[in-house]
Amino acid sequence: MRYAWIFMVVLTFPGRAVALADHTVDRIVIEHVLPGYEALATATRELYTTANADCTPSFRPLRDAYHAAFDAWVMVSHLRFGPSEVDSRAFAIAFWPDPRGKTPKTLRRMLADRDPSVSDPSAFATLSVAGRGLYALERVLFDPEFSEREEEPFICKLVMAIAHDLAATSAQISSDWRDRYADQMIRAGRHGSIYRAPLEAQQEFLKALSTGLQFTSELRLGRPLGTFERPRPKRAEARLSGRSLRNVQLALVALQSLALKLSKDHPDIAAGFDAGFATAIEVSHDLDHDPVFKSVSDPQGRLKVEVLQQRIDDIRSLTQNRLGPALGVGEGFNALDGD
Amino acid sequence: METELYSRRSFLASSTAAGLMPTLTWADAGAPHYLSAARMPDGSHRLFGLDSHVQPVFSVPLPERGHAAALHPDRPEAVAFARRPGTFALIGDCARGLQIATLAAPAERHFYGHGAFSADGRRLFTTENAYEIGEGRIGIWAADQGYRRTGEFYSGGVGPHDMVRLPGTNILAVANGGIDTHPETGREKLNLPTMQPNLTYVTTAGELLEQVTLSPAMRLNSIRHLAVRSDALVAFGCQWQGDLRAAPSLLGTHRLGGGVRFAEHPAEDHARLEGYVGSVAFSGDGSTLCISAPRGDAAQLFDVSSMSFVAKITSQDICGIAQGPTDFVATTGFGYAGDLHKLDAFEPQNLAWDNHLVKRR
Repeated sequence: MRYAWIFMVVLTFPGRAVALADHTVDRIVIEHVLPGYEALATATRELYTTANADCTPSFRPLRDAYHAAFDAWVMVSHLRFGPSEVDSRAFAIAFWPDPRGKTPKTLRRMLADRDPSVSDPSAFATLSVAGRGLYALERVLFDPEFSEREEEPFICKLVMAIAHDLAATSAQISSDWRDRYADQMIRAGRHGSIYRAPLEAQQEFLKALSTGLQFTSELRLGRPLGTFERPRPKRAEARLSGRSLRNVQLALVALQSLALKLSKDHPDIAAGFDAGFATAIEVSHDLDHDPVFKSVSDPQGRLKVEVLQQRIDDIRSLTQNRLGPALGVGEGFNALDGD
Repeated sequence: METELYSRRSFLASSTAAGLMPTLTWADAGAPHYLSAARMPDGSHRLFGLDSHVQPVFSVPLPERGHAAALHPDRPEAVAFARRPGTFALIGDCARGLQIATLAAPAERHFYGHGAFSADGRRLFTTENAYEIGEGRIGIWAADQGYRRTGEFYSGGVGPHDMVRLPGTNILAVANGGIDTHPETGREKLNLPTMQPNLTYVTTAGELLEQVTLSPAMRLNSIRHLAVRSDALVAFGCQWQGDLRAAPSLLGTHRLGGGVRFAEHPAEDHARLEGYVGSVAFSGDGSTLCISAPRGDAAQLFDVSSMSFVAKITSQDICGIAQGPTDFVATTGFGYAGDLHKLDAFEPQNLAWDNHLVKRR
């Protein structure tokens, strides 16, 4: 009943709701989305520049540039709507999870065929997303199957092609946001915007927050956890480059920033997020000694990963049960089903 | 001990098949008009038989969350399917309130939550995922031999979800939603960049008769739920996987050998669907189609001959829709069940009705 009441207030004072929503959406777009995608465009451009200088997989600056680009991606990886979804751009940057191992299969085939598309950016951009992006680059740089063949010219061409494609795709998303989509969201509810009301733009960010938390809990942590009887440490995200935990920590920082901005007109909920993220981030540091969640196979180490997952699920509950209704999104059993 | 139990169960199954036990009909089960799964207040799940007013007449427990159900054409047997990616289905004897068989998905297969019986009731067909290769399968079970698995065939695509049998034929219409998932990654969609849904007509012997593929602009329109009219006109409801604001029409009709017709939605009412249709049903006289939009808290009615918008009904978390005594009956996640236009005529049950309301033919 209480949630219905909050929703009613928003409906009854549309002028006030618009004013609040406008400011909320403006801030998220200007302070969270645009700088995030701009940083990804910059980091991937630098990655390409570095690869141009030396494309040897073991080249330290190349690996550093890969990590910087991956960091930038994780900070926006929850913003999956609009420009990132045009032509499957986000999938071309980040193809994971990959339960059937399509990325290594695609790379193996490309290597065996000496796939000529590595010398042709427009052809490379039409390749299966499994052979493109950060997870493909990780394989080439960190999986000995590829990285130890660094004397082969093809490996070098592959590194350059992936880096170039990443930079081009990231630049497209960033410029689309800056030139087109930011305005659509900021002008939500006004003539010409695809968002019929400011509240709709807020709901888009609510969905981004919710799916980002779900992805982090169920996949980034859930995949390596597997079951108690059968833990699956090798399924950890970006395990080869040792950044499984780092991705969780960065995602939490990014999602925290979004959650606090999105809930700023609801102080109780904002306080809940503030405490919830602080706890989750603190708990994540108990795992600093275990960057790829190896400890999931050991009952005691496993508990720490489970505790972290539980703290993230607490934030998910807050999002679903309190922020959702406050932003006019129901919590229906069927609405949440997806089948 | 185990052998003894096993023999007893086989005996029950074979004696039923051989007609040694008195033949029961749906009348012995309180003649339910509908079936629906529900989540109970304590978080457990049950399958309910419902009367013509959509009020409970019986219920049986389910081990996990259910999805849809299939009803045997003659015997009072109901199949309750687990929700995707479940690997069980229960066959309940609705007259005795007993569980008579359990279907366990074979290795490297899981159910999608829908199924259909052959016209003579001797076979049950189930939509399944051959998940190690990412292809849809139709599983075949011998309903007249204790629901033994006898084989499978290709569904014609990826992610087969709903399936209906064209009345009076041995032809199945299969909604291949196009979305690839793997149990290892739960409900994560693995192939959005390449997904391609279709509507496939296939005989119960596995012979592919016709495939309807949508235009490239509609590639992300996952064909998910089906309804069939007595003259074999098939209606399909879709779930859009692209940008919500670019969602195309989510309701279409097709007839074997014919063309696709999409419904025309007024822009405002179309946006209300949130790109997501939960269920689809024809009215008794076949003149009207109803779709539910649980995310938009609405149901919408369309005239079948013109495929134009007729009316909308608002109800929170409405999802189950079926043909009713007048036009439609519906259920919601808030426990309401009954005539679509008078959903509050009965007090809501203290439970959440799950996705689909299935009518007994």
